[in-house]
Amino acid sequence: MIIENTIAAFVELGNFKTILLMLVGVAGGLIAGAIPGFTIAMAIVLTLPFTFGMPPSMGLATMVSVLVGGLSGGLMAGILTGIPGTPSSVATTFDGFPMARNGEPGLALGIGVWSSFCGGIISAILLMTLAPQLARVGLEFNPWDYFMLVMFALTITASLSGKNMIKGLIAGAVGLLVRTVGEDEAVGMARFNFGNDALLQGFDFIAVLIGLFAFSQLLNDVRDPKIAKKALTERGVVKVRIEHRRAIVEVLKRWTIVVRSSLIGVFTGILPGAGGSIANILAYDQAKKASKHPEKFGTGIADGIIAPESSNNAVEGGALIILMALGIPGDVTAAVMLGALLIHDIIPSPSFITDEPVLAYSIFIAFFIATFMMIGMQSFMLRVFVLVTRVRMYVLASVILGFCGIGVFALHNVTFDLWTLLWFGILGFVMRHFGFPLAPMILGVVLGNIAEINLARALAITSDLSPFVTRPWSLFFLIIAVFSALFPLYVGQREKKKTWTVFFMPVACFAASIPLFMMGGSARTVLAAIVLCFGFYQLWRRWQNGWRFEAEK
Amino acid sequence: MQRLNRDAIIAIILLAFCGVFFLSSFDIRQPDYGVLMPSTWPRVVIGVLAFLSVLYLIQSTSAGAEAIEDDKYDAEHTRGPGFRGWLGHWRNPLWCFFLFFLYLLSLPILGMLIGGITFVYVLMGVLGGWDGNKPILHAVFAFATIGGMWSLFTFGLGVLLPPGMILGQF
Repeated sequence: MIIENTIAAFVELGNFKTILLMLVGVAGGLIAGAIPGFTIAMAIVLTLPFTFGMPPSMGLATMVSVLVGGLSGGLMAGILTGIPGTPSSVATTFDGFPMARNGEPGLALGIGVWSSFCGGIISAILLMTLAPQLARVGLEFNPWDYFMLVMFALTITASLSGKNMIKGLIAGAVGLLVRTVGEDEAVGMARFNFGNDALLQGFDFIAVLIGLFAFSQLLNDVRDPKIAKKALTERGVVKVRIEHRRAIVEVLKRWTIVVRSSLIGVFTGILPGAGGSIANILAYDQAKKASKHPEKFGTGIADGIIAPESSNNAVEGGALIILMALGIPGDVTAAVMLGALLIHDIIPSPSFITDEPVLAYSIFIAFFIATFMMIGMQSFMLRVFVLVTRVRMYVLASVILGFCGIGVFALHNVTFDLWTLLWFGILGFVMRHFGFPLAPMILGVVLGNIAEINLARALAITSDLSPFVTRPWSLFFLIIAVFSALFPLYVGQREKKKTWTVFFMPVACFAASIPLFMMGGSARTVLAAIVLCFGFYQLWRRWQNGWRFEAEK
Repeated sequence: MQRLNRDAIIAIILLAFCGVFFLSSFDIRQPDYGVLMPSTWPRVVIGVLAFLSVLYLIQSTSAGAEAIEDDKYDAEHTRGPGFRGWLGHWRNPLWCFFLFFLYLLSLPILGMLIGGITFVYVLMGVLGGWDGNKPILHAVFAFATIGGMWSLFTFGLGVLLPPGMILGQF
């Protein structure tokens, strides 16, 4: 079945037009990712209007290519200028830039490129193998479970996306409220239209997304008049040749770092709310801890480039696993991908892979092919990157604002969408200024109707609310939502050595094991037992240390 | 104190926003069918938002002013006094909003091609200045990029972009 679907997907994508669009997508992604101040999500958001008129597989393959290109583009700026192109390549600069300054920019770039490639391939393999399995698990979900899954996704996104969790939760709730404007999906009654007929359709999700993310980001980029007039990077970019052979040898010699960092990336991607910006730091930190020479990190060693670059490319595979299997976007980039699927009238759900196998596998294969294309394009795009760095920020921002207008209108040919773009651009800018994270709001907008529809379905089955706590999956998501909501408080209080924090993780393990036991089946019972034992082990360790995290010396 | 008030004011605005939406939720028609009424879910969300806003208000009034961080730009740039100082501080974003607003207002007349080129050209001038050969360079950029994109959508993707009253004559 997998082989048949894979072959069918190759046939679907194997035409000149799709391959050409994928090449353009990878090239565009590489450049967008390399420009400091631009994000991958913004590049994908801006690509979305172009894909509207394409067949679904072609459009989605183009978007996946932009995604893969963007994931790898950040390393060019990070290594050559010391300014990370995207937040997901911050850790790459720690060793990439020193290595380049030490006279080996070609090797640094090569290591970065090949680590990205390996991370992407490992992630693509896991995507192809895990997504269908997870979708099978997803078929067990009922409306109560889905509702709680959405609540969990929103809570964890809010808790991971900023210093102040209340601001994150407020942003998520505002996103949910924005989604309620217009006719409700269940019975079609007008809500919050304030007498305006245009509002009956609600705010277009893509216009909201472009406004919140791209528009507000561009305003932020040109906010400082001096910086707006400067070229994208003031530091000179030297022309270099990527040293592929040496880089491959260096990467292969450190295959354990590649595998470990890729797995960290995939896991971080699966976790809603945690994206490449967290994964690359986490992988770098783990590589440093596991190294025999941690003191050399930061001086320009290969390990310090391999770890972040493998992990940040693996992240999106993880995010796509959840998106494709459960229909829940793990981060902003996946939310945009969900938007792309929705404009092609495809609603991701656990049955998506079974119902639309060729399309689902086309996305998997596109991820795979784009990773190979990225390797081929990197050397060429490096030259373009050198040219792009000469452009002034205000020129780029003005042109892209103009593109945003054309792109948003082209989606539905509705002028009201342009006003939506403007108002949400202003809202996004104000939110950024006051320290409200945008990711929870975007997920709130995306997931709002999924939550409401599933709540309506749950209540249509029975008005009894107890299934929210008696159904194993629903209870599981509720428990991890509660603990993830408390997590920032735990981290803060742990530093102050509050006694209750000693019991936080053990209690979380005990609580999470209950629904796992309730699920039954041998695998889940074993998993529940492992989680329970881990909880007891942690409790025992704390007891050994005199109810502290670490024994006093 | 001023900075502390900022978060408290946002919390109060959020509470007022919740109040407006809550009152508006009574205007939602309730059908005789269905279990989840159309107003139930929005009211749940408004309730949660109001609760969080109250927490935010308490947090902002109980935390010291030093606990509230300015964003990077505000921290690095001192704002001039009065309304002029405020305008100067927010000059570029305000220009972007204002020009985009004008662009949308003029869309029925200028259409997306002329309006888009004009918007990008004026915005580049306002943000980058009008000195030297910039006006010519900006014009070339605006024509090439917006014109190219308009052509791509119109002829390549077959999307009918608003022609406006001027181009609509032809």
